[in-house]
Amino acid sequence: MNHWRVIDTGLRPAAQNIALNRALLEARQAEEIPSTLRFLRFTPSALLGYHQSAEQELNLDYCREHGIAVQRRITGGGAIYFDETQIGWELYLHKRDLGTADMQRISRRICHAAATAISALGVDARFRPRNDIEVDGRKISGTGGAFDGDALMFQGTLLIEFDVEKMLRVLRIPAEKLSDKAIASARERVANLRDLLGRRPDAALIRSNMVEAFESEFGVEFGDGDLTLSEDQRYRAALREIDHPDWVGLVNRPVADMPILEAAQKFAGGLLRAAVTFDVQTQTLRQVWFTGDFFANPRRAVADLEAALRDLPLARLEQKVEWFFASRAVDMLTLTPADFVAVVRLALKQPLLASNP
Amino acid sequence: MSSVKGCNIPDDLYYNVDSNVWARKEADGTVTIGMTAYAAALAGQVVSCTPKKVGRSVEQNKSAATVESGKWVGPVKAPVSGEVVAVNDALSSAPGTINSDPYGSGWMVKMKPANWDADSAALVTGGAVAAAFEAKMNAEGFAGCGA
Repeated sequence: MNHWRVIDTGLRPAAQNIALNRALLEARQAEEIPSTLRFLRFTPSALLGYHQSAEQELNLDYCREHGIAVQRRITGGGAIYFDETQIGWELYLHKRDLGTADMQRISRRICHAAATAISALGVDARFRPRNDIEVDGRKISGTGGAFDGDALMFQGTLLIEFDVEKMLRVLRIPAEKLSDKAIASARERVANLRDLLGRRPDAALIRSNMVEAFESEFGVEFGDGDLTLSEDQRYRAALREIDHPDWVGLVNRPVADMPILEAAQKFAGGLLRAAVTFDVQTQTLRQVWFTGDFFANPRRAVADLEAALRDLPLARLEQKVEWFFASRAVDMLTLTPADFVAVVRLALKQPLLASNP
Repeated sequence: MSSVKGCNIPDDLYYNVDSNVWARKEADGTVTIGMTAYAAALAGQVVSCTPKKVGRSVEQNKSAATVESGKWVGPVKAPVSGEVVAVNDALSSAPGTINSDPYGSGWMVKMKPANWDADSAALVTGGAVAAAFEAKMNAEGFAGCGA
Protein backbone atom coordinates (compact mmCIF):
# COMPACT_ATOMS: atom_id res chain seq x y z
CA MET A 1 0.00 0.00 0.00
CA ASN A 2 1.15 3.51 -0.82
CA HIS A 3 1.99 5.78 2.09
CA TRP A 4 1.02 9.41 1.87
CA ARG A 5 1.73 12.20 4.33
CA VAL A 6 -0.63 14.43 6.29
CA ILE A 7 0.58 17.74 7.71
CA ASP A 8 -1.05 20.63 9.53
CA THR A 9 0.72 23.95 9.09
CA GLY A 10 -1.54 25.77 11.56
CA LEU A 11 -2.70 29.40 11.55
CA ARG A 12 -0.60 31.60 9.25
CA PRO A 13 -0.76 34.85 7.27
CA ALA A 14 -1.79 34.48 3.63
CA ALA A 15 1.69 35.11 2.18
CA GLN A 16 3.10 32.15 4.13
CA ASN A 17 0.23 29.88 3.15
CA ILE A 18 0.53 30.72 -0.56
CA ALA A 19 4.33 30.38 -0.44
CA LEU A 20 3.81 26.91 1.06
CA ASN A 21 1.45 26.11 -1.87
CA ARG A 22 4.24 26.92 -4.29
CA ALA A 23 6.91 25.11 -2.23
CA LEU A 24 4.96 21.87 -1.78
CA LEU A 25 3.83 21.78 -5.42
CA GLU A 26 7.45 22.22 -6.56
CA ALA A 27 8.67 19.61 -4.09
CA ARG A 28 6.01 17.14 -5.27
CA GLN A 29 6.98 17.82 -8.91
CA ALA A 30 10.65 17.17 -8.02
CA GLU A 31 9.61 13.90 -6.30
CA GLU A 32 11.16 15.15 -3.05
CA ILE A 33 7.99 14.48 -1.04
CA PRO A 34 5.22 11.88 -1.08
CA SER A 35 1.68 12.83 -2.02
CA THR A 36 0.42 14.98 0.81
CA LEU A 37 -2.76 16.14 2.52
CA ARG A 38 -2.26 19.53 4.17
CA PHE A 39 -4.56 21.32 6.61
CA LEU A 40 -4.14 25.06 7.01
CA ARG A 41 -5.77 28.14 8.47
CA PHE A 42 -5.54 31.84 7.64
CA THR A 43 -5.38 35.07 9.60
CA PRO A 44 -7.90 37.46 7.94
CA SER A 45 -7.10 37.56 4.22
CA ALA A 46 -8.68 38.54 0.92
CA LEU A 47 -7.42 36.02 -1.63
CA LEU A 48 -7.51 36.76 -5.35
CA GLY A 49 -7.67 34.07 -8.00
CA TYR A 50 -4.41 33.86 -9.97
CA HIS A 51 -5.71 35.86 -12.93
CA GLN A 52 -7.65 38.49 -10.96
CA SER A 53 -6.91 42.14 -10.27
CA ALA A 54 -7.23 43.47 -6.70
CA GLU A 55 -8.70 46.81 -7.82
CA GLN A 56 -11.45 45.05 -9.74
CA GLU A 57 -12.36 42.44 -7.16
CA LEU A 58 -11.86 43.91 -3.69
CA ASN A 59 -12.89 46.80 -1.48
CA LEU A 60 -9.28 47.72 -0.78
CA ASP A 61 -10.19 50.57 1.60
CA TYR A 62 -12.17 48.17 3.77
CA CYS A 63 -9.32 45.64 3.73
CA ARG A 64 -6.82 48.32 4.79
CA GLU A 65 -9.04 49.69 7.55
CA HIS A 66 -9.66 46.23 8.99
CA GLY A 67 -6.16 44.82 8.72
CA ILE A 68 -7.13 42.25 6.10
CA ALA A 69 -4.15 41.03 4.08
CA VAL A 70 -4.56 41.03 0.29
CA GLN A 71 -2.86 38.13 -1.46
CA ARG A 72 -2.88 36.31 -4.79
CA ARG A 73 -3.41 32.54 -4.92
CA ILE A 74 -1.56 30.28 -7.34
CA THR A 75 -4.93 28.64 -8.12
CA GLY A 76 -7.78 29.83 -10.31
CA GLY A 77 -11.32 30.94 -9.59
CA GLY A 78 -12.70 33.99 -7.83
CA ALA A 79 -11.73 36.20 -4.90
CA ILE A 80 -12.60 34.88 -1.44
CA TYR A 81 -12.36 36.03 2.14
CA PHE A 82 -10.52 33.56 4.37
CA ASP A 83 -10.14 33.86 8.14
CA GLU A 84 -10.06 31.79 11.33
CA THR A 85 -13.71 30.72 10.85
CA GLN A 86 -12.70 28.38 8.02
CA ILE A 87 -10.39 25.41 7.60
CA GLY A 88 -8.34 24.87 4.45
CA TRP A 89 -7.54 21.45 3.03
CA GLU A 90 -5.17 20.67 0.16
CA LEU A 91 -3.94 17.64 -1.71
CA TYR A 92 -0.55 17.52 -3.45
CA LEU A 93 -0.54 14.65 -5.91
CA HIS A 94 1.29 13.15 -8.86
CA LYS A 95 -0.71 12.52 -12.02
CA ARG A 96 -0.02 8.80 -11.70
CA ASP A 97 -2.02 8.83 -8.43
CA LEU A 98 -5.10 9.70 -10.46
CA GLY A 99 -5.10 7.56 -13.62
CA THR A 100 -6.32 10.50 -15.69
CA ALA A 101 -5.01 13.84 -16.87
CA ASP A 102 -8.52 15.25 -17.44
CA MET A 103 -8.71 18.23 -15.09
CA GLN A 104 -12.50 18.14 -14.66
CA ARG A 105 -12.43 14.45 -13.75
CA ILE A 106 -9.68 15.09 -11.23
CA SER A 107 -11.71 17.90 -9.59
CA ARG A 108 -14.80 15.70 -9.46
CA ARG A 109 -13.01 12.78 -7.88
CA ILE A 110 -11.34 14.84 -5.15
CA CYS A 111 -14.54 16.79 -4.42
CA HIS A 112 -16.59 13.59 -4.12
CA ALA A 113 -14.15 12.26 -1.52
CA ALA A 114 -14.16 15.59 0.37
CA ALA A 115 -17.97 15.59 0.32
CA THR A 116 -17.95 12.10 1.83
CA ALA A 117 -15.70 13.35 4.62
CA ILE A 118 -17.94 16.33 5.34
CA SER A 119 -21.06 14.15 5.22
CA ALA A 120 -19.57 11.85 7.86
CA LEU A 121 -19.93 14.76 10.31
CA GLY A 122 -23.70 14.37 9.97
CA VAL A 123 -24.71 16.59 7.04
CA ASP A 124 -25.61 15.76 3.43
CA ALA A 125 -22.68 17.26 1.49
CA ARG A 126 -22.46 16.80 -2.28
CA PHE A 127 -20.23 17.87 -5.14
CA ARG A 128 -21.78 20.52 -7.36
CA PRO A 129 -20.13 21.06 -10.74
CA ARG A 130 -17.95 22.76 -11.48
CA ASN A 131 -16.03 23.12 -8.25
CA ASP A 132 -18.15 23.49 -5.13
CA ILE A 133 -19.37 21.21 -2.37
CA GLU A 134 -22.86 22.00 -1.14
CA VAL A 135 -25.33 21.02 1.57
CA ASP A 136 -28.94 21.37 0.36
CA GLY A 137 -27.89 23.78 -2.36
CA ARG A 138 -25.78 25.92 0.02
CA LYS A 139 -22.05 26.19 -0.52
CA ILE A 140 -19.93 24.70 2.28
CA SER A 141 -16.62 24.32 0.42
CA GLY A 142 -15.16 26.11 -2.61
CA THR A 143 -12.18 24.65 -4.43
CA GLY A 144 -9.49 25.33 -7.03
CA GLY A 145 -6.27 23.82 -8.36
CA ALA A 146 -2.82 24.39 -9.79
CA PHE A 147 -0.52 22.06 -11.70
CA ASP A 148 3.06 22.00 -12.86
CA GLY A 149 4.30 19.17 -15.02
CA ASP A 150 3.14 15.91 -13.45
CA ALA A 151 2.36 17.41 -10.03
CA LEU A 152 -0.87 19.05 -9.01
CA MET A 153 -2.34 20.76 -6.00
CA PHE A 154 -6.05 20.90 -5.28
CA GLN A 155 -7.35 23.04 -2.44
CA GLY A 156 -10.64 23.69 -0.73
CA THR A 157 -12.17 25.73 2.05
CA LEU A 158 -14.51 24.38 4.70
CA LEU A 159 -16.87 26.88 6.33
CA ILE A 160 -17.16 26.37 10.08
CA GLU A 161 -18.74 29.62 11.33
CA PHE A 162 -18.13 31.91 8.41
CA ASP A 163 -19.14 35.59 8.53
CA VAL A 164 -20.98 36.21 5.24
CA GLU A 165 -21.37 39.93 5.91
CA LYS A 166 -17.62 40.37 6.32
CA MET A 167 -17.04 38.53 3.03
CA LEU A 168 -19.48 40.86 1.25
CA ARG A 169 -17.71 43.92 2.67
CA VAL A 170 -14.31 42.65 1.52
CA LEU A 171 -15.48 42.13 -2.06
CA ARG A 172 -16.24 44.93 -4.53
CA ILE A 173 -20.03 44.85 -4.80
CA PRO A 174 -22.83 47.41 -5.11
CA ALA A 175 -23.67 49.20 -1.85
CA GLU A 176 -27.28 48.03 -1.79
CA LYS A 177 -26.08 44.43 -1.52
CA LEU A 178 -25.02 45.32 2.02
CA SER A 179 -28.60 45.92 3.20
CA ASP A 180 -29.88 43.59 5.93
CA LYS A 181 -32.17 41.90 3.45
CA ALA A 182 -29.41 41.39 0.88
CA ILE A 183 -27.04 40.02 3.51
CA ALA A 184 -29.75 37.62 4.74
CA SER A 185 -30.24 36.48 1.15
CA ALA A 186 -26.49 35.90 0.69
CA ARG A 187 -26.47 33.86 3.92
CA GLU A 188 -29.03 31.52 2.39
CA ARG A 189 -26.49 30.54 -0.27
CA VAL A 190 -23.84 29.52 2.27
CA ALA A 191 -23.76 26.65 4.77
CA ASN A 192 -21.80 26.85 8.01
CA LEU A 193 -20.99 23.58 9.74
CA ARG A 194 -21.71 25.13 13.13
CA ASP A 195 -25.25 26.10 12.09
CA LEU A 196 -25.93 22.75 10.46
CA LEU A 197 -24.71 20.73 13.43
CA GLY A 198 -25.94 23.08 16.16
CA ARG A 199 -22.48 23.04 17.73
CA ARG A 200 -18.89 23.81 16.81
CA PRO A 201 -17.50 20.73 15.05
CA ASP A 202 -14.40 19.09 16.46
CA ALA A 203 -11.40 20.07 14.30
CA ALA A 204 -9.67 16.74 14.97
CA LEU A 205 -12.75 14.88 13.77
CA ILE A 206 -12.85 16.92 10.55
CA ARG A 207 -9.20 16.05 9.92
CA SER A 208 -9.65 12.34 10.61
CA ASN A 209 -12.74 12.18 8.38
CA MET A 210 -10.80 13.83 5.55
CA VAL A 211 -7.89 11.43 6.03
CA GLU A 212 -10.21 8.41 5.96
CA ALA A 213 -12.13 9.61 2.91
CA PHE A 214 -8.97 10.21 0.87
CA GLU A 215 -7.41 6.93 2.09
CA SER A 216 -10.47 5.10 0.87
CA GLU A 217 -10.72 7.03 -2.43
CA PHE A 218 -7.07 6.49 -3.40
CA GLY A 219 -6.36 3.17 -1.65
CA VAL A 220 -3.51 4.63 0.41
CA GLU A 221 -2.53 5.04 4.05
CA PHE A 222 -1.67 8.43 5.57
CA GLY A 223 1.02 9.00 8.16
CA ASP A 224 1.63 12.22 10.11
CA GLY A 225 4.61 14.25 8.93
CA ASP A 226 6.34 17.61 9.07
CA LEU A 227 7.76 19.94 6.47
CA THR A 228 11.04 18.60 5.08
CA LEU A 229 14.27 20.54 4.74
CA SER A 230 13.84 20.81 0.97
CA GLU A 231 10.29 22.11 1.40
CA ASP A 232 11.53 24.66 3.89
CA GLN A 233 14.19 25.88 1.46
CA ARG A 234 11.68 26.11 -1.37
CA TYR A 235 9.25 27.85 0.99
CA ARG A 236 11.79 30.56 1.90
CA ALA A 237 12.51 31.25 -1.77
CA ALA A 238 8.79 31.33 -2.64
CA LEU A 239 8.02 33.64 0.30
CA ARG A 240 10.51 36.23 -0.99
CA GLU A 241 8.55 36.40 -4.24
CA ILE A 242 5.02 36.10 -2.86
CA ASP A 243 5.28 38.34 0.21
CA HIS A 244 5.85 41.28 -2.15
CA PRO A 245 3.66 43.94 -3.83
CA ASP A 246 4.83 42.80 -7.30
CA TRP A 247 3.22 39.39 -6.76
CA VAL A 248 -0.05 40.83 -5.47
CA GLY A 249 -0.03 43.32 -8.38
CA LEU A 250 0.93 40.71 -10.97
CA VAL A 251 -2.40 41.24 -12.72
CA ASN A 252 -3.44 44.86 -12.49
CA ARG A 253 -6.45 45.90 -14.53
CA PRO A 254 -8.32 49.18 -14.05
CA VAL A 255 -11.71 49.28 -12.40
CA ALA A 256 -12.99 51.02 -15.55
CA ASP A 257 -12.59 47.73 -17.45
CA MET A 258 -15.03 46.11 -15.05
CA PRO A 259 -17.74 48.66 -14.20
CA ILE A 260 -20.71 47.96 -11.97
CA LEU A 261 -23.72 48.97 -14.08
CA GLU A 262 -27.20 49.44 -12.68
CA ALA A 263 -30.75 49.81 -13.96
CA ALA A 264 -34.32 49.63 -12.67
CA GLN A 265 -37.42 48.83 -14.66
CA LYS A 266 -41.11 48.61 -13.79
CA PHE A 267 -42.86 45.47 -15.01
CA ALA A 268 -46.42 44.21 -14.54
CA GLY A 269 -45.04 41.91 -11.85
CA GLY A 270 -43.21 44.64 -9.93
CA LEU A 271 -40.11 46.81 -9.87
CA LEU A 272 -36.90 44.98 -10.73
CA ARG A 273 -33.39 46.40 -10.24
CA ALA A 274 -30.22 44.85 -11.59
CA ALA A 275 -26.60 45.62 -10.75
CA VAL A 276 -24.08 43.98 -13.07
CA THR A 277 -20.31 43.67 -12.77
CA PHE A 278 -19.38 43.51 -16.44
CA ASP A 279 -16.01 42.50 -17.86
CA VAL A 280 -15.81 44.82 -20.86
CA GLN A 281 -12.83 43.07 -22.42
CA THR A 282 -14.33 39.58 -22.56
CA GLN A 283 -17.99 40.75 -22.70
CA THR A 284 -18.74 38.56 -19.71
CA LEU A 285 -21.22 39.06 -16.86
CA ARG A 286 -18.99 38.54 -13.85
CA GLN A 287 -21.77 38.93 -11.34
CA VAL A 288 -25.40 40.05 -11.35
CA TRP A 289 -27.52 41.15 -8.38
CA PHE A 290 -31.30 41.54 -8.44
CA THR A 291 -33.24 43.63 -5.96
CA GLY A 292 -36.53 45.50 -6.13
CA ASP A 293 -40.14 45.18 -5.19
CA PHE A 294 -41.42 41.88 -6.50
CA PHE A 295 -42.61 38.49 -5.28
CA ALA A 296 -40.61 35.27 -5.74
CA ASN A 297 -41.15 31.94 -4.05
CA PRO A 298 -38.97 30.21 -3.02
CA ARG A 299 -37.14 33.36 -1.96
CA ARG A 300 -33.72 31.86 -2.59
CA ALA A 301 -34.55 31.44 -6.29
CA VAL A 302 -33.21 34.95 -6.89
CA ALA A 303 -29.89 34.13 -5.22
CA ASP A 304 -29.73 30.90 -7.23
CA LEU A 305 -30.35 32.84 -10.45
CA GLU A 306 -27.55 35.24 -9.49
CA ALA A 307 -25.25 32.25 -8.97
CA ALA A 308 -26.26 30.75 -12.33
CA LEU A 309 -25.32 33.99 -14.10
CA ARG A 310 -21.81 34.24 -12.64
CA ASP A 311 -19.01 34.45 -15.23
CA LEU A 312 -21.50 34.10 -18.07
CA PRO A 313 -20.65 35.31 -21.59
CA LEU A 314 -23.20 38.00 -22.39
CA ALA A 315 -24.18 36.20 -25.59
CA ARG A 316 -25.58 33.33 -23.50
CA LEU A 317 -27.74 35.43 -21.15
CA GLU A 318 -31.15 34.69 -22.71
CA GLN A 319 -30.43 30.98 -23.03
CA LYS A 320 -29.22 30.70 -19.43
CA VAL A 321 -32.18 32.55 -17.89
CA GLU A 322 -34.60 30.46 -19.95
CA TRP A 323 -32.88 27.26 -18.81
CA PHE A 324 -32.88 28.41 -15.18
CA PHE A 325 -36.62 28.98 -14.98
CA ALA A 326 -37.43 25.89 -17.08
CA SER A 327 -35.45 23.65 -14.72
CA ARG A 328 -37.25 24.53 -11.45
CA ALA A 329 -40.58 25.72 -10.09
CA VAL A 330 -40.50 29.40 -9.14
CA ASP A 331 -43.68 31.36 -8.40
CA MET A 332 -43.22 35.01 -9.40
CA LEU A 333 -46.87 36.02 -9.99
CA THR A 334 -46.76 38.00 -13.26
CA LEU A 335 -43.01 38.67 -13.34
CA THR A 336 -41.46 36.71 -16.26
CA PRO A 337 -38.00 35.31 -17.05
CA ALA A 338 -37.82 37.80 -19.93
CA ASP A 339 -38.11 40.66 -17.40
CA PHE A 340 -34.85 39.57 -15.74
CA VAL A 341 -33.12 39.54 -19.13
CA ALA A 342 -34.58 42.95 -20.00
CA VAL A 343 -33.33 44.68 -16.84
CA VAL A 344 -29.82 43.23 -17.23
CA ARG A 345 -29.72 44.37 -20.86
CA LEU A 346 -30.90 47.82 -19.73
CA ALA A 347 -28.09 48.03 -17.15
CA LEU A 348 -25.51 47.23 -19.83
CA LYS A 349 -26.69 50.20 -21.89
CA GLN A 350 -25.49 52.62 -19.20
CA PRO A 351 -23.14 55.41 -20.40
CA LEU A 352 -20.09 54.01 -18.56
CA LEU A 353 -20.07 51.05 -20.92
CA ALA A 354 -20.05 53.27 -24.00
CA SER A 355 -16.96 55.06 -22.70
CA ASN A 356 -15.07 51.74 -22.46
CA PRO A 357 -15.06 50.42 -26.03
CA MET B 1 -2.74 16.96 -40.83
CA SER B 2 -3.01 14.05 -38.48
CA SER B 3 -5.70 12.96 -36.06
CA VAL B 4 -5.13 10.94 -32.88
CA LYS B 5 -8.21 9.69 -31.00
CA GLY B 6 -10.22 12.47 -32.62
CA CYS B 7 -7.70 15.19 -31.64
CA ASN B 8 -6.11 17.20 -34.42
CA ILE B 9 -2.31 16.86 -34.08
CA PRO B 10 -0.70 18.26 -37.28
CA ASP B 11 2.47 16.34 -38.14
CA ASP B 12 4.28 19.34 -39.63
CA LEU B 13 4.68 20.96 -36.20
CA TYR B 14 7.30 20.21 -33.52
CA TYR B 15 6.07 18.88 -30.17
CA ASN B 16 7.22 18.41 -26.62
CA VAL B 17 4.87 15.52 -25.97
CA ASP B 18 5.33 15.52 -22.15
CA SER B 19 4.49 19.22 -21.92
CA ASN B 20 1.73 18.88 -24.54
CA VAL B 21 2.90 21.96 -26.46
CA TRP B 22 3.72 22.68 -30.13
CA ALA B 23 6.25 24.86 -31.92
CA ARG B 24 6.29 26.09 -35.53
CA LYS B 25 9.40 27.51 -37.17
CA GLU B 26 8.33 30.54 -39.17
CA ALA B 27 9.94 31.86 -42.37
CA ASP B 28 11.30 34.89 -40.48
CA GLY B 29 13.20 32.67 -38.04
CA THR B 30 10.82 33.15 -35.11
CA VAL B 31 9.09 30.23 -33.42
CA THR B 32 5.36 30.29 -32.66
CA ILE B 33 4.19 28.18 -29.71
CA GLY B 34 0.90 27.05 -28.21
CA MET B 35 -1.06 24.24 -26.53
CA THR B 36 -2.05 21.10 -28.43
CA ALA B 37 -5.67 20.17 -29.12
CA TYR B 38 -5.14 17.30 -26.64
CA ALA B 39 -3.91 19.68 -23.91
CA ALA B 40 -6.94 21.91 -24.56
CA ALA B 41 -9.27 18.92 -24.26
CA LEU B 42 -7.73 17.93 -20.91
CA ALA B 43 -7.97 21.50 -19.62
CA GLY B 44 -11.54 22.14 -20.72
CA GLN B 45 -12.71 25.65 -21.63
CA VAL B 46 -9.80 28.07 -21.14
CA VAL B 47 -10.96 31.25 -19.34
CA SER B 48 -7.67 33.15 -18.96
CA CYS B 49 -4.25 33.16 -20.58
CA THR B 50 -1.35 35.33 -19.45
CA PRO B 51 1.74 35.10 -21.66
CA LYS B 52 5.19 36.17 -20.52
CA LYS B 53 5.92 39.74 -21.58
CA VAL B 54 7.70 40.70 -24.81
CA GLY B 55 11.43 40.97 -24.20
CA ARG B 56 11.52 38.28 -21.52
CA SER B 57 13.84 35.32 -21.99
CA VAL B 58 12.36 31.90 -21.36
CA GLU B 59 14.37 28.71 -20.99
CA GLN B 60 13.30 25.51 -22.68
CA ASN B 61 10.62 23.71 -20.58
CA LYS B 62 9.98 26.78 -18.43
CA SER B 63 6.69 28.64 -18.39
CA ALA B 64 5.99 30.84 -21.43
CA ALA B 65 2.35 31.49 -20.48
CA THR B 66 -0.10 30.67 -17.70
CA VAL B 67 -3.58 29.36 -18.49
CA GLU B 68 -6.70 28.88 -16.37
CA SER B 69 -9.62 26.53 -16.96
CA GLY B 70 -12.25 25.24 -14.56
CA LYS B 71 -10.38 26.97 -11.69
CA TRP B 72 -7.16 25.07 -12.56
CA VAL B 73 -4.06 27.17 -13.23
CA GLY B 74 -0.91 25.88 -14.86
CA PRO B 75 2.02 26.76 -17.10
CA VAL B 76 2.44 26.33 -20.85
CA LYS B 77 6.07 25.32 -21.16
CA ALA B 78 8.29 26.71 -23.90
CA PRO B 79 9.38 23.91 -26.28
CA VAL B 80 12.61 25.86 -27.00
CA SER B 81 14.68 28.53 -25.25
CA GLY B 82 14.50 32.08 -26.50
CA GLU B 83 13.23 35.61 -26.13
CA VAL B 84 9.53 36.43 -26.34
CA VAL B 85 9.12 38.76 -29.36
CA ALA B 86 5.31 38.80 -29.64
CA VAL B 87 2.29 37.68 -27.62
CA ASN B 88 -1.21 36.97 -28.87
CA ASP B 89 -3.12 39.89 -27.35
CA ALA B 90 -6.40 38.63 -28.80
CA LEU B 91 -6.40 35.82 -26.22
CA SER B 92 -7.07 38.22 -23.35
CA SER B 93 -10.51 39.03 -24.75
CA ALA B 94 -11.17 35.62 -26.33
CA PRO B 95 -9.23 32.90 -24.44
CA GLY B 96 -11.65 30.25 -25.76
CA THR B 97 -9.80 30.50 -29.09
CA ILE B 98 -7.21 28.21 -27.50
CA ASN B 99 -9.85 25.45 -27.50
CA SER B 100 -11.43 26.23 -30.87
CA ASP B 101 -8.28 26.90 -32.95
CA PRO B 102 -5.22 25.76 -30.95
CA TYR B 103 -2.75 25.84 -33.89
CA GLY B 104 -4.10 28.96 -35.59
CA SER B 105 -5.61 31.98 -33.88
CA GLY B 106 -5.07 30.26 -30.49
CA TRP B 107 -1.26 30.65 -30.69
CA MET B 108 0.26 32.06 -27.48
CA VAL B 109 3.70 33.59 -27.98
CA LYS B 110 6.34 34.00 -30.69
CA MET B 111 9.93 33.56 -29.62
CA LYS B 112 13.29 34.35 -31.14
CA PRO B 113 14.91 30.96 -30.53
CA ALA B 114 18.29 30.91 -28.79
CA ASN B 115 19.35 27.72 -30.49
CA TRP B 116 16.63 26.16 -32.60
CA ASP B 117 18.75 23.37 -34.06
CA ALA B 118 19.87 22.05 -30.68
CA ASP B 119 16.57 22.57 -28.86
CA SER B 120 14.35 21.20 -31.64
CA ALA B 121 16.35 17.97 -31.70
CA ALA B 122 14.53 17.06 -28.47
CA LEU B 123 11.10 17.63 -30.07
CA VAL B 124 8.95 15.16 -32.00
CA THR B 125 7.83 15.94 -35.55
CA GLY B 126 6.61 14.27 -38.76
CA GLY B 127 5.80 10.58 -38.85
CA ALA B 128 6.60 9.99 -35.16
CA VAL B 129 3.98 12.43 -33.89
CA ALA B 130 0.86 10.27 -34.03
CA ALA B 131 2.40 7.30 -32.22
CA ALA B 132 3.91 9.49 -29.51
CA PHE B 133 0.57 11.15 -28.73
CA GLU B 134 -1.35 7.90 -28.93
CA ALA B 135 1.00 6.39 -26.32
CA LYS B 136 0.58 9.47 -24.11
CA MET B 137 -3.21 9.37 -24.40
CA ASN B 138 -3.29 5.66 -23.57
CA ALA B 139 -1.05 6.15 -20.54
CA GLU B 140 -3.31 8.97 -19.35
CA GLY B 141 -6.54 7.03 -19.82
CA PHE B 142 -7.86 9.49 -22.41
CA ALA B 143 -10.97 8.42 -24.34
CA GLY B 144 -10.63 10.98 -27.12
CA CYS B 145 -11.34 14.56 -28.17
CA GLY B 146 -15.10 15.07 -28.25
CA ALA B 147 -15.63 11.78 -26.35
